[in-house]
Amino acid sequence: MRALMPLATFVCLALAVPLLAPLVSGGTWWVPGLVLMAAAAGTSALYRLTGRTPAPVPLLQVLVVLLLVTPLFAAHTAPLGVIPTEASLGYLVQVFEQGVASINDGVVPVSANSGVTFVIALTFAVFLIVADFLAVTARCAGMVGGLLLILMAVPLVVDPGGLALWQALWCAAGYVALLAVETWMRRRAWGAPVPSPVPGDRALGGMRRAGTAALAGAAAVLMAVTLPTAVPSLRTDAFYDLADGNHPGFGENVVRTTHPLVSMRRELNSDSDSTVLTYQTEAENPDYLRTYVLNRFDGENWTMDPVDASGENVAGDDLPLPTGWDTEAPGGTTTTQVSFSSSAPRQEFLPLPYWARSVDVSGQWHVDEDSHTVFTTGRPPTGLSFTVESNRRAPGTGDLEEAGSPHSLPTDHLELPRDVDPSVQDLTDSLTEDTGSAYERAVAIQDHFADFSYDLRPPEVPAGSDPLTHFLFEDRIGYCEQFAGAMALMARQAGIPARVAVGYTQGERAHGDRWVVTSGDAHAWPELYFEGSGWVRFEPTPSSGGGQGSASAPEHTDPSGGEGLDGDSGSPSPSPSESPSSPEGSEAPEEETQGPDEESAPPGADEDLGTEAGGARTDSSGGPDLSWLVHAGGVLTALLLLALPALVRAWVRAARRSALARAPGPAAHAAWREVRDTCVDLGLPWDLSESPRATAARLELPAEARGALWRLALAEESARYAPEPVADGKPREDLRTVHAALAASAGRSTRLRAAVLPRSLVPWKRPRPEPLPAT
Amino acid sequence: MSLGTQHDGQGGGVHSEVREVVTVAERIRGAIETVIEGKPEVLRVTLTVLLAEGHLLIEDVPGVGKTMLAKALGRAVDCSVQRVQFTPDLLPSDITGVSIYHQDRHEFEFNPGPVFANIVLGDEINRASPKTQSALLECMEERQVSADGRTRPLERPFMVVATQNPGDMEGTYALPEAQRDRFMARVSVGYPAPQDELDMIDSHSAGSPLDALAPVTSAAQLRALADRVCEVHVAPGMRRYVVDLINATRTAPELHLGASPRATLHLVRAARAHAALDGRHYVVPDDVQALAVPVLAHRLLPGPEARMERLTPEQIVSRIVARLPVPGPR
Repeated sequence: MRALMPLATFVCLALAVPLLAPLVSGGTWWVPGLVLMAAAAGTSALYRLTGRTPAPVPLLQVLVVLLLVTPLFAAHTAPLGVIPTEASLGYLVQVFEQGVASINDGVVPVSANSGVTFVIALTFAVFLIVADFLAVTARCAGMVGGLLLILMAVPLVVDPGGLALWQALWCAAGYVALLAVETWMRRRAWGAPVPSPVPGDRALGGMRRAGTAALAGAAAVLMAVTLPTAVPSLRTDAFYDLADGNHPGFGENVVRTTHPLVSMRRELNSDSDSTVLTYQTEAENPDYLRTYVLNRFDGENWTMDPVDASGENVAGDDLPLPTGWDTEAPGGTTTTQVSFSSSAPRQEFLPLPYWARSVDVSGQWHVDEDSHTVFTTGRPPTGLSFTVESNRRAPGTGDLEEAGSPHSLPTDHLELPRDVDPSVQDLTDSLTEDTGSAYERAVAIQDHFADFSYDLRPPEVPAGSDPLTHFLFEDRIGYCEQFAGAMALMARQAGIPARVAVGYTQGERAHGDRWVVTSGDAHAWPELYFEGSGWVRFEPTPSSGGGQGSASAPEHTDPSGGEGLDGDSGSPSPSPSESPSSPEGSEAPEEETQGPDEESAPPGADEDLGTEAGGARTDSSGGPDLSWLVHAGGVLTALLLLALPALVRAWVRAARRSALARAPGPAAHAAWREVRDTCVDLGLPWDLSESPRATAARLELPAEARGALWRLALAEESARYAPEPVADGKPREDLRTVHAALAASAGRSTRLRAAVLPRSLVPWKRPRPEPLPAT
Repeated sequence: MSLGTQHDGQGGGVHSEVREVVTVAERIRGAIETVIEGKPEVLRVTLTVLLAEGHLLIEDVPGVGKTMLAKALGRAVDCSVQRVQFTPDLLPSDITGVSIYHQDRHEFEFNPGPVFANIVLGDEINRASPKTQSALLECMEERQVSADGRTRPLERPFMVVATQNPGDMEGTYALPEAQRDRFMARVSVGYPAPQDELDMIDSHSAGSPLDALAPVTSAAQLRALADRVCEVHVAPGMRRYVVDLINATRTAPELHLGASPRATLHLVRAARAHAALDGRHYVVPDDVQALAVPVLAHRLLPGPEARMERLTPEQIVSRIVARLPVPGPR
């Protein structure tokens, strides 16, 4: 019997092995793990049969596992295949390192070489030793669930396919079996259960237990379904490894960064509009700051290509000319000094104006020529400062109109997955039907977004429908990510090379030549390629009050040439249809966007609020102030919550009082339960091994209350043990007397606590049988 | 002073079904108390065993009144009382009786031994040889004597009150487990309190108070009372409680040997008598709890761990009782 628990632990963990099945491909990778676990469990079981102190069990298990590892993995290095030598130790370390490396670098499913098998086997052996300690030595089999959760988390995090139902069920079955064995052992420690003499009682008990189990299961399922909606979830695509394209498979040149779109969403949705960076520039109208470039569409998201980290350190050096430029643009260079706020998260990519001619920054930084982004493979410091010299080319509409076919691009930036909804292509075709040049097509696509709405928290996309078509055809609400992504996609469909840039708008002028960029200025926009002009920024996202506050459509995206000034774009208007990119409306003239602090009023914190938020603000300032109602409601709710335990307790008490009118037996039980709960509430000890009369003798009460307590105790005693329960006395009055006397015997603070937070409502504060004797 | 587990006289009235038991028991108790003073617990167990028709083992150092207690009990009841002084050379036939050949009639005649009595006092029972001790076994359990191929029943009530010195005294043969198991309860008298000892000097200096002790009840009345005790109600929950308690002694890690099924029967019978003595016609957990140590402790063998921790069986039983929830609605 002593060996049962170790074996149950083994079975439980063995059933968890299939969790890793989809992550490892091929062969018998699970066999050594099972062998090691079986050996460790067997060691524990055999040792425990001796009945000695269990302290050395983990040590013995580790020894057995170490001894077995040699014949399993390094047999050729050992004499007779069993005896470990120095060579076998070295070999094992090597195998382990190889396993770790292939797990780190491999793609799911990892092929099961000996290294991977070794790592898995060792992990399972360690888990079994820990589980054995928890379940058998420490007698907390429930804790093994934590280990199983760790194992379950592995496929959930690593495998995009997640966890199959059958794996989860196997694992749960093993866990339940372990718990069942533990419970059975505990019950057994009290001796064989006595069969009830009442026929049918056994079945009734079984039904009760089944009912309890069903209730607990239902509660667990309910919580599992509802709780995750209340807590932020971990997105599996939130982190991003960008391996060096030239040297795949080597660890040191990997940029590990948050997914650009994810970090942008985070910044836009953060409630505090904190400063990300400040910069000082000579430019009157500084350009957007580009951080990342996403040039691949996977059917759902725009993602980055791996960047080339093989080049030398570029800090302080001149950067290469961007693709499509044959010379520097006239107009000289502008110097910008950028300082990250110390509270801003580290960024492996630098936000730079386009085109950055040179960057003066401390540390090891590389440039990716194609996307023209500057990044580091190391860990950049927080609060980084750098100076960048930039050169800006403002293409005229004529240049763009006359641009030839794009021939100087290294890749054509037109590829799209096949499964893009055909209705999108139809839309693009209908928009570009009457246009001539690529530029006109681009402008037509940008204008299509003019009557879309901007909202940072767009309505939920119904399950099963494509987010892109939902945005384009159904609700037409979104923020920069959707606008930029959709436009870049449609531009590619229209034959224009396109990609999405992620970074910040120019932010707001603080004073003089100082500008402040806050997390609300995070932004994404499409870049389209025109031969002769290079990559050109477009702006489909609505700007100003109803959209991305500090965004502005560049001059060159308006074919009319930016001649007139249109007041609409500058005024804070909630209507998205008056966004600056609407055809009749509005370029955002440069003079105006220069000083958003002077004219377009909303302060930084409000810039990214959607239309509803803006409306609400107007309401609260204009209408009658009803906030006190909200406060009063809140206070009332809080009071109600505070009083909830007391109310429940009062209800229980009332229910028992009404039970006093029933037959003597149930009445006596109800009265005695109430005495018990009163004692528990007041923190008086209540011993389950005490009979009612022993309890009555123990509680020290004044004479009158003592008599009442004795009457209640004797009534309960006769209800429990006598052939016919007798009713005598007035339980209602007696109960009141006893309650008053018990309360009087306690201190004031105890009484208050008993009234507000009655312990008797808390299951684990109620008297329970003591822990069971050791076996 | 009260016999039962009543507290401050608040433990409820006496039920009519057991009123006679209480009155008679009070009379016996009063009679014995003229001889043995200040030992209410011992008296309570003694009366319980008497009414439950069990056998009593009194264990203590010499001179604390073991024999006096047994003799007083014998005197208080108007029935046949026999006394056997156990010595190493005592033979089985000295207890059960012997057949003697009558030459004139040419036949054997059975001369009944001292065991043919209502109350048998076995003094210093652990001084006799195992052979003699085991002669007592059959009589105690089966209430009959088999000799010369004939079985002779013993008359009710039949109670063996044996005294013994603690096992580590000189010249003793420890009672085997099988024989200990046949005693319903074991008590130890213990030294009297100083005041009781002072009173004792006064009462005993004038002569033995035993001589003045007159019988207060008869064998026939005891039989009737014992029958009445058998009718005391034991609720299903209480039966389960007793079995749980016995089972706990069997699985307790501290114990090498747990209580036997016979112990279960003894405990229930004793609890019935205890309840009746308390004026109740039903058994409550307090009866079982009060009797658990006297009824169970002498049957248990502590394991090596308990011996190392110097845990006595009494302590182990008390621990189990303190841990076991009483039956009742949850």
